Amino acid sequence: MRDLKHLQYFEDLLQQANNALVAQAKADGKVCVAYTCENVPEPLLNLDRAVSIRLTAPHTGSLDIATYYMTALLCEPSRALLERAIEGGFSFADCVITPDGCTMMNRAVENMELLQTMGKDNPHFFHEYMEIAFKNSENDVNLAVLQCKNHILTPLQENYGIDVSDASIRKAVEDHNRLCRLIRAIGDFRKEEKPRITGYEFHVLCLASYVCPKYLILEKLEETLEELKTREPDERSYRARVLLVGSEVDDSGLVKLIEECGAFVCCDRFCFGSYPGRTEILLKDDEDALTQVCRHYVQNCQCPRMMNQEKVYSRKQYVADLAKEYCADGIIYEQVKFCDPWAYERMLGASMLQNDFGYPVLSVDRPYNIASSSGQMRTRVQAFVESIEIKKLQRGGKA
Amino acid sequence: MKTVEKVVNPVRRAGEQSPGKIYSEKLKVRSRREWRGVKDTLYDYTRWLYLMSVLGRFILVPRNVKGFFRYRWMMSYLFVPHGMDKFTIGLRDEALRIAHTSFNFVIADVTQAIANCFRGDRRVGNDVAYSDSCVITDENSMVTFMMGFDKEKVHTILREVPTMFASNIFHQFNVMHYLDVAQLNGIPGDVCPMPEAEAGISIDDDFCVLGCCAVQNNTTCDGSLMGNGIIAKRLEREYGIPTFQLATPLRHKEPDVMDYAAEEIKKAIAFVEAHTGEKWNWDIYFQAAKRVNDATRCRIAQMEINSTPYPQFFGAAFSLYNDTNYMGNSGRDPQFVKVDHKLLELAERGYKAKRMYAKEYRHRAIVWGVQPQYNIDMLYWLVQCWGVMPLTDMLSVINTDMIAEEDTPENREQAYRDMAMLNMEMIMRNHTHGGYKVLLDDLWELCEKMNADIAIMWEHMSCKALTGLHGMFEEQARERGIHIMWVSHDLCDPRVFTRQAIRDQVNKYMRTVMREEPLDPSLEELPDNEAW
Amino acid sequence: MLKKLAKIPLILLGIALGFFVITFTIYMFNLDMKATSLLAPWLEKWYNHLDRKQYL
Repeated sequence: MRDLKHLQYFEDLLQQANNALVAQAKADGKVCVAYTCENVPEPLLNLDRAVSIRLTAPHTGSLDIATYYMTALLCEPSRALLERAIEGGFSFADCVITPDGCTMMNRAVENMELLQTMGKDNPHFFHEYMEIAFKNSENDVNLAVLQCKNHILTPLQENYGIDVSDASIRKAVEDHNRLCRLIRAIGDFRKEEKPRITGYEFHVLCLASYVCPKYLILEKLEETLEELKTREPDERSYRARVLLVGSEVDDSGLVKLIEECGAFVCCDRFCFGSYPGRTEILLKDDEDALTQVCRHYVQNCQCPRMMNQEKVYSRKQYVADLAKEYCADGIIYEQVKFCDPWAYERMLGASMLQNDFGYPVLSVDRPYNIASSSGQMRTRVQAFVESIEIKKLQRGGKA
Repeated sequence: MKTVEKVVNPVRRAGEQSPGKIYSEKLKVRSRREWRGVKDTLYDYTRWLYLMSVLGRFILVPRNVKGFFRYRWMMSYLFVPHGMDKFTIGLRDEALRIAHTSFNFVIADVTQAIANCFRGDRRVGNDVAYSDSCVITDENSMVTFMMGFDKEKVHTILREVPTMFASNIFHQFNVMHYLDVAQLNGIPGDVCPMPEAEAGISIDDDFCVLGCCAVQNNTTCDGSLMGNGIIAKRLEREYGIPTFQLATPLRHKEPDVMDYAAEEIKKAIAFVEAHTGEKWNWDIYFQAAKRVNDATRCRIAQMEINSTPYPQFFGAAFSLYNDTNYMGNSGRDPQFVKVDHKLLELAERGYKAKRMYAKEYRHRAIVWGVQPQYNIDMLYWLVQCWGVMPLTDMLSVINTDMIAEEDTPENREQAYRDMAMLNMEMIMRNHTHGGYKVLLDDLWELCEKMNADIAIMWEHMSCKALTGLHGMFEEQARERGIHIMWVSHDLCDPRVFTRQAIRDQVNKYMRTVMREEPLDPSLEELPDNEAW
Repeated sequence: MLKKLAKIPLILLGIALGFFVITFTIYMFNLDMKATSLLAPWLEKWYNHLDRKQYL
């Protein structure tokens, strides 16, 4: 296929957290709200002059300093973020809002606060920690509403004069939905038998939508969607279509590696992927927008730490439904090393998707930066692709 | 660096002076029991007789024999007397009596819990009517939501306590099998081994199966929350036992989580009512609340005694009792009140007599973090070997606030918030979660209040909440002039750090940093890596 | 008859003394735990041979 016109542009934006668009947003007088977890309602971080920037640490190498503070036993993303914060990589942030979701990420941000890695010259800078929902009940919606009021809206209003009115929230949701529709429409091309977009390309676009100010990328995403409508797919077909499920994938190299092994990543269901992160929020007029946004996040959350059994089972059903919708031949459950929630979810998910839903499953752990152990991962994926092919042959199908 | 005044014991200890000599390299147990002088040896002997009678009475029931041969973890309970020996190393006088009083009570409680499990267990006793009156809860769970139920009609079964938690204390290798099972089935080896072992027990089908319903809790960490999902799946889908997940907020110091937590308690109570057919009784609740307050007052008094130069409460036996009382009991059983007061009486007597339990106390320590289950007796060793007096451990630093205990319409609403508060502030999570202040600042405050010069940091390798602040502990301890001694372990997997490897970390620190010699060199290296 | 009755305390004392001597010997020399140690390997084998329905 011909290269996408803006792919290089988006790839460049992923090279560092403080990318060109973040700098532009700062120059535009925006308030950069840094965050670390998908469970924080994103539109609420994009009210008025506020723009959300998800913290990432591309090209992570040495983690020496963060390892001193957090030991080698915490997950690499949490240490990578702390290392990058200590290096000054997040100096653009005007505040950090993080939920007490997974313990390790919470500790990473606490270390950032204690070490005063950000906001030294900004008297309005603040850190906020939120409690987030554990279940998909109305009690959890009430909790989310209160937490968002106390830890997002009030601090943003008091420190930066952000308009947190109902109208402002509705406007932010509208913008959010526009982005979601774009990403989903682009992602829909992955359903095709001969897809017009690779899993890698989609991952770059989707990740950019989290780490860049949204208002600055919409135009190029729209152009990309138009370009895809007429893009000629490759003639060669993939050996297997796989659905990628698990911890956050901040390194597009992982998706690239999987696709180099002959698989096509037809769908993504990981933290900060397009499922469920890029699902539109449908607002009604008869209820305040904040409650509706919170309900959306509580009900649609697929985080493994949602603990009621209904959610535990429905997460696997959700994966199975996606696999069906995107015609996946197999599922890769991946977990970044030392991530406790995904360690258990990977085990149960792999077992249920295999035994209850009949999908071939590869269950792997991986480093944050795949370049540090790409050989092992390549071997695992190659073997998985071959096993899918063999199964297809055994069923009398075409390999 | 901060220093504390050395306190020298003017009295020579009766009996054995070097208890390290009774450890045996060849045997997995000690070559003989400790000679403590006539009076204390006879006392220890009578307590041993009592333990044997408890175990004997248990095994005389046929269904218990059946259960013994069905469940692998039951093997651990053969070593209860050995466990008692571990918890009384070098002890005399009041400390010996405190250890026995608390430990024997815990043993009686655990034995009863096993007997209850076997009675209702579908594979063993299969007493259906009894099983239908049982509610299963987590090992690490506060049972406040059961405080208002008549305990003669609704039975709370902390199924994981005898199966995993207690059994690992008596037999250090006991959970290795379950960890292997869990890892064979795909859980990585880097998660906390306690919930991992519990998940392994479930996968290995080695839990008793009973109860009309189960209540789970996101107790201490991401691992325990996630492990519950695996256990609940088997309970629900294979055994048809409905489970309720009682969500407990993590940021327990923030007032804006209280309404949520209280509502969850209401839901848990409604769930238990629906499945047991029993109604919540406010009279029973407020009686239990009075007992909770009484236990709290005793705990505050204990802490005060330990803040003096002559601490009386230390070691695993006492902290295990505290755990059982605070979490597993939550004021439901009046027997605990008597034991609480007896323990306090003993401690006051010891304090008045300025009783010491080593030749000298050189250092005063706060023990922070989570102790290794398979080396839980190490606090006694610290006193005897190095004269380091552990004033309190993190798991014993729990709620000191009183809860509403009079039955009024306002207090009934307040009661849900009290239960929620206790639930949120359950052992371990009250410090490992809720923001860095409860983990860091609370430690320094305790060092100040109890005049400690050392913070002994149990660094449980897989406890991400604790290790996540490793560097901050180092830096803040330096700023305050507090010695910080890191002691790594892997909670219940002795393959990662053996008992001696744990002790060696202390030995090295004491010799190289403190430049001290042990009080009792016979204890510095002990051949107990292979012991039960 | 009285003579017989008078012996009862002595018999009881003898039983108590015997009980004390035996149990104290077991206690002091840790014979209970030493015997248990011998039992443990056999029990391990027993538990290993039991069929389990290992299932997630």
